[in-house]
Amino acid sequence: MIRYWWTSLVASARGGGVLYLLTVVGAALGVASVLSIQIINRSAVGAFEAGLQAVSGDADLSILGRTPTFPERLYPEVLAESGVAAAWPLYRVDVALAGREAVFLEVVGADLVAPLQVPWQGESADPADALTRPGWIAVSPDLATRMGWRPGDRFEVTSGSRRARLVVGALVDWRRRSPRASARLALMDIAQAQGLLGHPGRLSQIDVRAAPGADLSALASRLAARLGPGVQVLTPAARGEQAADLLAAFRLNLTALSLISLFVGLFVVHESVQAALVRRRAELGLLRSLGATRGQLLALILAEVVLLGLIGVALGLPLGYWVAAANVEVVSATLTNLYLLERIESLQFPVALAGLAALIGVAGALTGGLWPALDMGRRRTTALLAPFTLHQAIRSIAGRLAAGGAVGLAVAAAWFAWVGRGWRPGGFVLGVALLAAIPLVTPLLVERAGAWVRLRGFGLGYSLKSLATRLQTTSFAVASLAIAVSMLVGITLMIGSFRRTVEVWVQTTIRADVYVTTPSWARAGSEATLDPAVVAALRGHPGVAFVDRLRRLSAYVGGRRIAVAGIDMTLPRREERFAFVGGDPAEAVRRVREKGAILVSEPLARKAGLGRGDRVAIAGPDGALTFPIAGVYYDYSTEAGAVVMDLATLDARFGPGGIHSLALYLEPGRDPDRVIDELKQRLPDAPLVFRSNRRLREEIFAVFDQTFAVTRVLQGMSLLIAVSGITLTLLVLARERLSELALYRALGARRRQLFGLFVGKGLAMGLLALALGLAGGVALAAILIFVINRAYFGWTIQVHWPWAALGREVGAILAAAMVASLYPALRASRTPATELSRDDI
Amino acid sequence: MALAFRRVSKVYQGAGRAPRFALRDVSFDLAAGRRVAIVGRSGSGKSTLLHVAAGIDVPTAGDVVVGGRSLGALSDRARTLLRRAEIGLVFQFFHLLPHLSVHDNVALPELIAGGRPATFRPRVGELLERVGLADRAADPVHELSGGEMQRVAICRALLRRPRLLLADEPTGNLDEASSRLVLDLMLSLAKEEESALLYVTHSRELAGLADETWRLQDGGLGDASPPGGLRP
Repeated sequence: MIRYWWTSLVASARGGGVLYLLTVVGAALGVASVLSIQIINRSAVGAFEAGLQAVSGDADLSILGRTPTFPERLYPEVLAESGVAAAWPLYRVDVALAGREAVFLEVVGADLVAPLQVPWQGESADPADALTRPGWIAVSPDLATRMGWRPGDRFEVTSGSRRARLVVGALVDWRRRSPRASARLALMDIAQAQGLLGHPGRLSQIDVRAAPGADLSALASRLAARLGPGVQVLTPAARGEQAADLLAAFRLNLTALSLISLFVGLFVVHESVQAALVRRRAELGLLRSLGATRGQLLALILAEVVLLGLIGVALGLPLGYWVAAANVEVVSATLTNLYLLERIESLQFPVALAGLAALIGVAGALTGGLWPALDMGRRRTTALLAPFTLHQAIRSIAGRLAAGGAVGLAVAAAWFAWVGRGWRPGGFVLGVALLAAIPLVTPLLVERAGAWVRLRGFGLGYSLKSLATRLQTTSFAVASLAIAVSMLVGITLMIGSFRRTVEVWVQTTIRADVYVTTPSWARAGSEATLDPAVVAALRGHPGVAFVDRLRRLSAYVGGRRIAVAGIDMTLPRREERFAFVGGDPAEAVRRVREKGAILVSEPLARKAGLGRGDRVAIAGPDGALTFPIAGVYYDYSTEAGAVVMDLATLDARFGPGGIHSLALYLEPGRDPDRVIDELKQRLPDAPLVFRSNRRLREEIFAVFDQTFAVTRVLQGMSLLIAVSGITLTLLVLARERLSELALYRALGARRRQLFGLFVGKGLAMGLLALALGLAGGVALAAILIFVINRAYFGWTIQVHWPWAALGREVGAILAAAMVASLYPALRASRTPATELSRDDI
Repeated sequence: MALAFRRVSKVYQGAGRAPRFALRDVSFDLAAGRRVAIVGRSGSGKSTLLHVAAGIDVPTAGDVVVGGRSLGALSDRARTLLRRAEIGLVFQFFHLLPHLSVHDNVALPELIAGGRPATFRPRVGELLERVGLADRAADPVHELSGGEMQRVAICRALLRRPRLLLADEPTGNLDEASSRLVLDLMLSLAKEEESALLYVTHSRELAGLADETWRLQDGGLGDASPPGGLRP
């Protein structure tokens, strides 16, 4: 039987190479889609873990502030705790390379005589040199090579509005400790880092090595109790989990989208297996009549499916890696923009992931092929040998299938309304039920659409009607395209609505004429402060009516890391700066200004269950600080959550600190670009970044669009898979329906007409898929906007119909469907009338 | 003259094998309105003759003239258009399309030709009336019996009033009673429509219904028989 299987497979592949190719393409694209996202997800978490391993790999515990830094006096406390074998303080700050604002160094300030194991490149650094030579820094060999630095070379960095001149003192190869550690990790003496780049007397972290045999969890508890509520004591694993949790929503959404591509790919595999089996029905019937058992037939078919799946996997693995590599930059930028996490500098492709992809590919192919294989294995021998009985089954159950889909969807909706609403992933259940309903409804739609058409010629109507002839084949192609269209339309609607919502929000909140910050602000956060002299100079510049100051730091609400911002609430018309979810804006602002209350961003309010009038505890430097909530405002800058308070309140409750950015309101008639030029001339040495209102808005939308770039790639892959399904189906029809095509030729149809008939079939499939996909897409958008987005990100998105984008997509889908039908149409048009077989049609 | 063959030969050249003559130097004239049956053993070239006559296949040598136009001088496109305008075809296995109703199956040649529905619908109705299937016009074809299906196929072939009707074993898939009925119908309709009819059959009885019967043997055309019987 194995010999027969191989001979038969080779013969079939020779006869229908394109069909097999499309099966493999379907499996390969599905595998590639899932794999690329898993590689990116893994690499994102891996980038954080690699940094952790490089710097804190020797530590059993890390002590971190609940605000960005904590006082140095806690260090002796740590050393005094029993069970601590060693501890070393760290001060971490990200600085921008002067003149190359996009290049950051992640500076680790450490006590170089402490037990920290430093992986020096070449000879160990001389501690005396590191301590006494001003600006001494050890950089990675990779960065040194990239920048052309050698020991002794000098370069300048900025931290906030400060400039510091550093000298390459040694090379430190973190990658010996952690192969994927960032090349931008650099090492300085802690006192120099504090003094030159940050704040003396403050620490970012204390790493602890426990005494042999010490109970880590007990030690962590004792340290936490001893050091007070201003810090948290974490194991390296817990820190990794924090990063993974931070990215959970982002990763889950990408994974869900990639699974849709896999789902569509699975349909294509199903379709192609079905097609191959229908084509070989006589052969299978003959085998049965010659005594082959159903089990043998099933094994024969499934072995072929597995083989094709494996070929798909073999192609999908490199393709997935390539897609990941092509998109890692934009995803990395999104992660650093939204989550302030490490950049992904290298991709991780562990063997386990390759194994998972292989499993997905083969299991997907098997799942796609199982039903048609079982169906074919079950058939009576006479049915296999008779040509007319196939495709009748699905016609007879089309109504029941559609009813099943509708009932399934209704049950899922009812479940969600009563039970699933409180369960975070409930929205995904709804989405799956929706996408599952689409293929179930499709046969009825195709059949009814065909029946509805009243023929007036041999054009599109005829093509549409003829789709019902091979209902099973065409339904699968239409269904897979409809699912891809649903995804496309749903996400376009969601992104379009989101973009419009953000536009409105930006118009409300971005009102100043000029925004001023520092190059290191994007990464360094709280350390990137503006010198008070710079603030004063900007404030006193002619033409500047008033200045809004922003101080921002990170803190915790419960286990959630949030942004805490302080702005000057005494400035006029402050209530117009925020878009409030409800309540009286003027009253909210008055309470913030006069009563020390705070405003809470919508994502935080949703996730933490907070509302106007509630009180919230924010972990401050010396323990929990409680604030009344004066209002909830729409905020799309961070999904983690944020609070805003008056600057005076922030200084009073969290301790004084520097200003991070300024918003300048100009006198009427002043040209922002001109004022920016004047300011640059006035402060030539201050490393400042000026943005006009217009430029800031442009940058916000550039980041927005970048965030969804990978989504677009997944949409494209899904559509590509679905469109290849159309080609596959039409090729099957061109092959299966030879007699029909020959009949048309015999009745006087020209080749051009057959070509047109098949292009029409492709177009008709595109139209049906569009009809179904638009409906599915709108429903999917509703689930994304009102359920999944709110559950995972907490944003309110106002529904907006991006007609232009939708119109372009409709055009692209129809064009793709037509293009997909060109090759089959060409094949069909070459059918000679002599192909009229003695078989019935 | 509806159809003329001038020393037509058709040779199939198999790779590494000796050439096989499907038609060998065949010549005949078929006058308008004349009805001729062709008989012969399997493989004698009957179907090839019909395919060549319809312009579906091209002869290796000789010429075929349909309605005064030499097919050899025509391009594939022109032959297709000629077939559309001048020739009706009936097949052993009916070749009706399952996604079309009885009415639409009959109307198919006009749909292909781009005819106006208002013009051809009355003609479709009239033909279905004449074959007794007017009340089945909206039915799907798979609900019809074999004889009914072939009647639909005959209507389709006659829809555009062809000068020449070619039928390849039109009763080959029918029982005896249905065969006689269908052939009687086809012969009478061809006469009424003044179409020349050339049909292939294995049945001596059904061949005897034609104006004359021609025997095809090893690709060559034998003597013609008188009306009412086949000359041995």
